[in-house]
Amino acid sequence: MTTKVEDRPALRPPEKLATVGESVVKIDGQKLARGEPAFTDDYQRPGMLFAKVLRSPHPHAHIRYVDASRALAHPGVVSVLWHQDIKPILHTRAGQSYPEPSPYDTVVLPAKARFVGDRVAFVAAESLHAAEEALQLIEVQYEELPAIFDMAEALQRTDVLIHEIPDPRGISEAGRSNVAARIDLHVGDVDAALAQADVVVERTYQLPRVQASHIEPHVAISWIDEDGRLVVRTSTQVPFHLRRILAHILELPEGKIRVVKPRVGGGFGDKQEMVLEDIVALLTLRTRRPVRLEFTRQEEFIAARFRHPQRITMTTGAMRDGTLVANRMQVLADTGAYGSHSLTVQGNTGQKVLPMYPLANIHFHVDCVYTNHPISGAFRGYGAPQGCFALECQIDEVARAIGMDPLELRRKNHIRLGDTDPLSAKLGEGKKGLVRVIRSSGLEEAILHGCDAIGWNRKPAPSAAHFRRGLGMALAMQGSGIAGIDWGSATIKLNDDGSVNLQVGATAIGQGSDTVLAQIAAEELGIAYEKVIVLSSDTDLTPFDVGAYASSTTYVSGGAVAKAARQLREQLASILAEKWDCVSEEVILADDMARGPMGQAMTIQEVALHALYVAKVQPGATASHLSNESPPPFAAQFADVEVDTETGQVFVRKFVSAVDVGTVVHPLLTEGQIEGAVAQAMGYALWEEVQLDGQGRVLNPTFLDYKIASALDMPEMETILVPSQEPTGPFGAKAAGEVPIDGPAPAIINAIADAVGVRLYRIPATPERVWRALQEASG
Amino acid sequence: MWNLKDYRYANSAAEAVALMRRGPGRGLYIAGGTDLFQAQPADCDFVVDINGAGLGGVARTPDGGLFLGATASLERIARSNFVHDFAGGTIAVVAQRCGNRPVRTVGTIGGNLCHGLPSADMAPILLALDAKAHFTDGKEKQSISLSEFFLGPRQTVLGDRLLLGIEIPPHTRDWHTAAKKLSRTAEDISLVHVAVAMELTGQTIQTARIVLGAVAPTPVRAIPAEEFLSQLDITLPEATTRFEAAAKLAAADAQPVSDHRASAEYRCAMVEIMTRRLLKNLAASWSAPP
Amino acid sequence: MRIDLILNAVATTWEIAPGETLLDALRRYGCLSVKRGCETGDCGACTVLLNGEPVNACVVAAGRVREHRITTMEGLCEDPLMQRLQEAFVVGGAIQCGYCSPGMLLSMYVLLKEGGSVDVTTIREALSGNLCRCTGYVKPVQAVLLAWEEQR
Repeated sequence: MTTKVEDRPALRPPEKLATVGESVVKIDGQKLARGEPAFTDDYQRPGMLFAKVLRSPHPHAHIRYVDASRALAHPGVVSVLWHQDIKPILHTRAGQSYPEPSPYDTVVLPAKARFVGDRVAFVAAESLHAAEEALQLIEVQYEELPAIFDMAEALQRTDVLIHEIPDPRGISEAGRSNVAARIDLHVGDVDAALAQADVVVERTYQLPRVQASHIEPHVAISWIDEDGRLVVRTSTQVPFHLRRILAHILELPEGKIRVVKPRVGGGFGDKQEMVLEDIVALLTLRTRRPVRLEFTRQEEFIAARFRHPQRITMTTGAMRDGTLVANRMQVLADTGAYGSHSLTVQGNTGQKVLPMYPLANIHFHVDCVYTNHPISGAFRGYGAPQGCFALECQIDEVARAIGMDPLELRRKNHIRLGDTDPLSAKLGEGKKGLVRVIRSSGLEEAILHGCDAIGWNRKPAPSAAHFRRGLGMALAMQGSGIAGIDWGSATIKLNDDGSVNLQVGATAIGQGSDTVLAQIAAEELGIAYEKVIVLSSDTDLTPFDVGAYASSTTYVSGGAVAKAARQLREQLASILAEKWDCVSEEVILADDMARGPMGQAMTIQEVALHALYVAKVQPGATASHLSNESPPPFAAQFADVEVDTETGQVFVRKFVSAVDVGTVVHPLLTEGQIEGAVAQAMGYALWEEVQLDGQGRVLNPTFLDYKIASALDMPEMETILVPSQEPTGPFGAKAAGEVPIDGPAPAIINAIADAVGVRLYRIPATPERVWRALQEASG
Repeated sequence: MWNLKDYRYANSAAEAVALMRRGPGRGLYIAGGTDLFQAQPADCDFVVDINGAGLGGVARTPDGGLFLGATASLERIARSNFVHDFAGGTIAVVAQRCGNRPVRTVGTIGGNLCHGLPSADMAPILLALDAKAHFTDGKEKQSISLSEFFLGPRQTVLGDRLLLGIEIPPHTRDWHTAAKKLSRTAEDISLVHVAVAMELTGQTIQTARIVLGAVAPTPVRAIPAEEFLSQLDITLPEATTRFEAAAKLAAADAQPVSDHRASAEYRCAMVEIMTRRLLKNLAASWSAPP
Repeated sequence: MRIDLILNAVATTWEIAPGETLLDALRRYGCLSVKRGCETGDCGACTVLLNGEPVNACVVAAGRVREHRITTMEGLCEDPLMQRLQEAFVVGGAIQCGYCSPGMLLSMYVLLKEGGSVDVTTIREALSGNLCRCTGYVKPVQAVLLAWEEQR
């Protein structure tokens, strides 16, 4: 078993690939189709208790006293915990690499509630019903405090502090102000460039609070096993980070904790966090019994995580000939009551977005504040959807100001192969950055294919008298993992029948990562995909991986799989070289066979038997992979919309995504990522908003009133995969999971502007909002 | 879990009322039950399941009207040939648009109306067709015009009496009808719902009905607008202007709330637009060649 | 209270609470393919068949199904039409996280079995009660079309 290696994973020309590039049958497809009990809640332990959380009705209040006596006297209630029962150990719940670039501003049970829904007490009871009844019987003495809901106010006020204890690592300004994170990056001299520009456009854009709405809620079950170790079975994106955070706050060594991730019903970033695992773990340790907690859908809309609402002011300078000369992006963001992901999401808002136009003069500024609102966190795109909305709407505004086709303006200015990302050196998760050079790009092709598919120069006529029709576009880039930080590892071993066990820490959450990683292993070994048996995300049985976020699994975890598989291949070649008296480079593994230079041939099964029973070794390897690069995938996305000018309703008639993800490992899964992302982004553009009542309470915590797309809301969709060859990715691959979520919202808002000549600076563009904008425009 | 103390089954309408009045505590009738199991009212002690009480049919009445049993499912109504053949089939179209298939399988016309939500989708078209509600106190059957059935949000005249069904009288059989709901996404609670019906003699409107849903505590007949259309020849060029004026009058009868779904101002504006469009389309389809 | 019902073609007796939902009872009695997603009848992850028609088990009373037939995916895995649908979904990339899949497949099974017209429009209408956050509904719709074409 080997240690960390720095070299690049293998790369072969695409036309020679056998498995990579094929839409193989998804490895877990059958069991999911059959509804087999594969999810967290499909498993019970004898003596299991049911947990519920008592939540604060106040947005900001000291929790002076919690009287649990009546609750504990209720039949079936076993335990009630509040902050006096727990040692407060500061941490962040964000699932990120240690040391986490998020403020340590959280304790398991706070002495002060900081939002409506904050944790006040935990209950464990013999039945869910008893736990629910116990919540009603707990009496709490609150001392209400003034609450802050407005971002600008939070930025100014220091008389009311949402967090008083200073952040031990100095990321937030807790104790001094309500600032959770600040960023200020300068490239060149924006003010000087603006002064020289022919045209300066300044606009402010508002991005709403939205919720990931994975259909499987947050759910976890914990117990103490026969060896006295804590086991947590949970629907998570970050099993290893969870283990570490639990160890820290429970004061247990990591070796005493096992985190297991079964099938997960969607995460989208909302499960890149310790949302409820500490609750079950703590109750298990106190009661010595298994404990289960599942969020209700209402709790998801109150106490899970939300995309950071932002107000973004963009100032862009351009010359009459369409050359962009300066971009200033000023972000005011609401991280809510706690600061997980506050620095990094907002960092992405600029870092993943502004380099699309690699200008010599860029200024990026962020103020991210605490408010007494529900907690913001990771949600697919991770800051880029907000920034891309502002930037890509801004580009259209600039195009209009200089009288240029917005497509041509983009083509003239976007980043190209060989260009350097000017922000990459300046920003790197609070650490020293790593310079990013574009080594692969299909963006130009994507633009051309996409605009042709939507009919950019052949706009269709409106379908009725009161409709207007419009076309809009947006460009997007993301990353593939976090350079210098995201890493993963894989263990592979060969069995008697030529099958291999592939053990990866990488986290399948529905995106098909088990399948893609199996394809990479199969390709490297020259064996059939069906021979790869994948075990993933068990902290006892699989080696480390950061988890499923930052679009890292194919690119980073795949890199580790490719390395481990290559090492296994080399071992087999070495064994056979000895048997065949040749050099190992002359041994070729392909098509489930091994072949030597003199016509020798063995099936992979025969090779396995030879290794295990003749050479008497277990062929296998463990390999790790860290990439110092994060090559961006690119997307060009186009919307064809109709606006009912009387009702304000917006109908997307067609949506085109042309996406460059490097080598496509699995076409259908890649398309699936794109199509799902477009549906989520359409919600961002048109229907979704977590609505608050001005006192921090969520008005629409159900699917009745938080509208995600149903099958009837989806337009005709066309997905075009534009190949490119990324030299640093396994078989040339880049990431796919997030980039397609960035473009649809600005593309749709741009299309609405094209249709009715009115621009919305705030989404979602609900019928009423569009109607009001049209009313105002007509005077 | 809902803290119900008892779940009772009735095999007839009379038995249902008896089980309801037996107590103790407060009871509710349940057919599909989806509204109840969503809301889980804490002050409800027991339910009386009326699915076996023989009220699920859809039938033609002997005099040529239509009868929708209280526990007839919305899906059944949407598919019924009798309903499709009556007054242009709009009742079926509206039923088809209630929620989605799983909702319509168990959701009933009775539940939709008795739950009494201002957004009850079946109410406007039925009111536009002069429907009557039939109910019983266990001994006597009574009926009341649907226009007097709703007292306020979640309040009907019934009390603990049992709805037997909805009768649509034969004189509306050949009326021209249309209905439309406005919502945020394709499948959604109504922000505004308008139903129109016209009794035509030749090309002249004898009777017009315009009913607004979701824009007042109960469904509302826009009577001034209806009267304004009386005796209108729908083929005349100025019919369009009359429709526009009627739509404005209808909007004046809306008293919607502003809530997180939409503002009152928007809802009123949409009442006017939808009413105008429905009237124009109805006239156009009447005039269109077959 | 005790109720008798036919669960996946087997005569069964359940012990239930009066206020219990069909979803809770089904999962308690081992039908784990029926998923909990929202508990308000909005997402369709708990879709099951009541006398062959789709319902949201989370807002149907367990008591409601006394003497009725309930079918879940557990009872349909040997059914040739369901197998054809499952195959089309699996091969066609219509399953990502799989949490909404049993509910979706049951809705589609009913659509195909009822024998009405099957096209993009009717499929989307029949699917409108099954929320999916992963796929954007594109491949599920395509898979149903494929399965239907194979059936004819």
